[in-house]
Amino acid sequence: MRKAGLLAAIAAMVISASAATAQEPIRIGAINPYSGPTALYGDETSRGYQIAIDEANAKGGVIGRKIELFRGDAGNPQQGIAAVEKLVSDKVDIFVGTYISAVSNAASDAALRYSKLYWDTNALAADLTERGLPNFIRSGPYAASFGETSANATRDLLAPALGKPIKGLKVWIESEDSIYGTSIAKRQKELLEKDGAIVVGVGAHNFRAIDLTDAILRAKAAAPDVWINTGYVPDNNLLLRTMRDQGFKPGAAMLVGSGDTFETLEALGADWLEGLTIVGYPRPDQTEAYGPGAAAYLAAYKKKYERDPIAPQSMAAYAGMQMLLEAVAAAGSVEVEKVRAAAAKMDKPLKSYATGFGAKFDDKFQNTRAFPTVVQWQSGKVVTVFPKDAAQPNVKLVSTQRK
Amino acid sequence: METFLTILLSGLLLGGIYSLVSIGLNLIFGVVRIVNFAQGELVMLAMYATYFCFARFGIGPYYAVFLVAPLMFVLGLVVQRLVLQPLQNEPNMQIFATFGLLILLENSMLALTRGEGLSLAGSYSRDVIDIFGLKASVSRVIVFLAATAIAAALMLFLQRTMAGKAIRAVIQDRQSARLMGINVSRTYLLTFALGSALAGVAGALLAPIYTLSPYIGGNFILAAFAVVVLGGLGSVPGAYVGGLAVGLMESFAGYYIDPTLKQAIWFIIFVAVLVLRPSGLMGQAGAEEVGLREQS
Repeated sequence: MRKAGLLAAIAAMVISASAATAQEPIRIGAINPYSGPTALYGDETSRGYQIAIDEANAKGGVIGRKIELFRGDAGNPQQGIAAVEKLVSDKVDIFVGTYISAVSNAASDAALRYSKLYWDTNALAADLTERGLPNFIRSGPYAASFGETSANATRDLLAPALGKPIKGLKVWIESEDSIYGTSIAKRQKELLEKDGAIVVGVGAHNFRAIDLTDAILRAKAAAPDVWINTGYVPDNNLLLRTMRDQGFKPGAAMLVGSGDTFETLEALGADWLEGLTIVGYPRPDQTEAYGPGAAAYLAAYKKKYERDPIAPQSMAAYAGMQMLLEAVAAAGSVEVEKVRAAAAKMDKPLKSYATGFGAKFDDKFQNTRAFPTVVQWQSGKVVTVFPKDAAQPNVKLVSTQRK
Repeated sequence: METFLTILLSGLLLGGIYSLVSIGLNLIFGVVRIVNFAQGELVMLAMYATYFCFARFGIGPYYAVFLVAPLMFVLGLVVQRLVLQPLQNEPNMQIFATFGLLILLENSMLALTRGEGLSLAGSYSRDVIDIFGLKASVSRVIVFLAATAIAAALMLFLQRTMAGKAIRAVIQDRQSARLMGINVSRTYLLTFALGSALAGVAGALLAPIYTLSPYIGGNFILAAFAVVVLGGLGSVPGAYVGGLAVGLMESFAGYYIDPTLKQAIWFIIFVAVLVLRPSGLMGQAGAEEVGLREQS
């Protein structure tokens, strides 16, 4: 009898202990720059995670556990490693990130040493998935997707707007000279030439350059129909200002990766920007049919942060976090192998998430159904114009001719 | 031909930017014998001050310069008096101190702005003039004219005024200058403040051209060091002419060779001048050694 009582007591202890585990939250560590020159964007990315987590928690969490977000500040690879180690000691289960590709590279490597999943929603460098790291998954678009969307938009949006066929269309491809810019530029050249466009020149520049008159004069001398640049905010703004000063007026200009925020609006003004196109992360103004839940996301963001999103990175982070939580729910676990196995089975068509993404991972665990969209400056605002079904029915492409 | 002239003009205007930033750096180097690593950050600080004047009080950059330059003069006095002067006999420590100042200014501005890229709104950067069919941004032409006027005024000041003569005497030989009754510490104070005020003028006039970031100072200072070495350590006309020369070389090389090689070109100049003519184009022969001799 006494023995039976003891067993019952042990059983009760085990049950209560496992109940406590069940209530233990899933801890997710978000590796991003929260200080330094890109803090604004790191912060913005993590706001997207928080909104997705709030939504999931309101529905009772995932696999019976609430979700908690922890922040790991990292502006360079060394800080990325340190942030992972610090968060591991805080008992984080899964890592997400990253606004900076170089940080993602080092931090995911560090996470592997602790057998933790690194689910990337925002880093762009192609080599992150090509490394074949066994704990890495990327849910968002990457360099090649940006190259692809810019080439498609040149063919299906800009060439028709200029009244010219893509065959023989003259294009100048400019980029900043690090791997980010040049890898996108290389992909653009391949795809545009495959479509029959004539790449009249390829230029590269340092994004910290004090003067970019030479880059603009070289492009101007080649007289392209379309001028494309992949860069950061400072060089984009300086190139556009030089373009204006030097009277370089191609039929269309397209920026890749930046140029769609108030930072460019303030530098160039609404009048001059009118008609300029930008390839970037999907924005909440797209149609519900293309990005189901985009309007609800925008409302949730405004409610929580009392302003419009600063940059579109947050919505890609939001969709990425939703995808991660779905994979965790399907896996019934936060362990790397189980979540990877669940992610490998995901098969959601395009236009499943607020960003218009679907979910289908290739053998390197790159989501093959995540693409940027194209927006255009119209009266001081950016509106989604491409793909066609992402654009609101009342939105028309205004003249792309540079003034 | 038109292309050639366009490159020539853009090179001259770029050279104006380099000259403007380098004159203050070179003056401080020539007199106080400090490589002021924070000079670019002083320019950055002045750019933000100009932005603030415009955004908060609606004062345009070409008026704000008369406010920002005196403020930077005062800041220069404070830095020289409180940071550099106590380290007077430890030149290596002075260099570390300016490096510390660089980090301090950069990170303070980062904390204040969160790294947002700010640009002066309004028409300041938008006006373009036609010079014989060549296009030039008015704000760049103003920078060029200001650099020319400042170089001329500074040369007159150094030649004609008592304070200027004292500065020149200290450049030539600080021991003898002291024996002649020149207050060397006060000359240092005045020179460092003047160099900071020149950074203030540069910042205010460059603000309309660029998108401001806390790291922008570093973009200027690399080129400015090449200019100082080329023009001659401590020489005002050297900094002016050196600035124009580097601007022209960069512009021609960027157009006719490759824009990605621009930074390499600065350093080819840098090394070549150090090997062939260590005193620079207009520097006093042996000036590059005086500092070391006196410090030892």
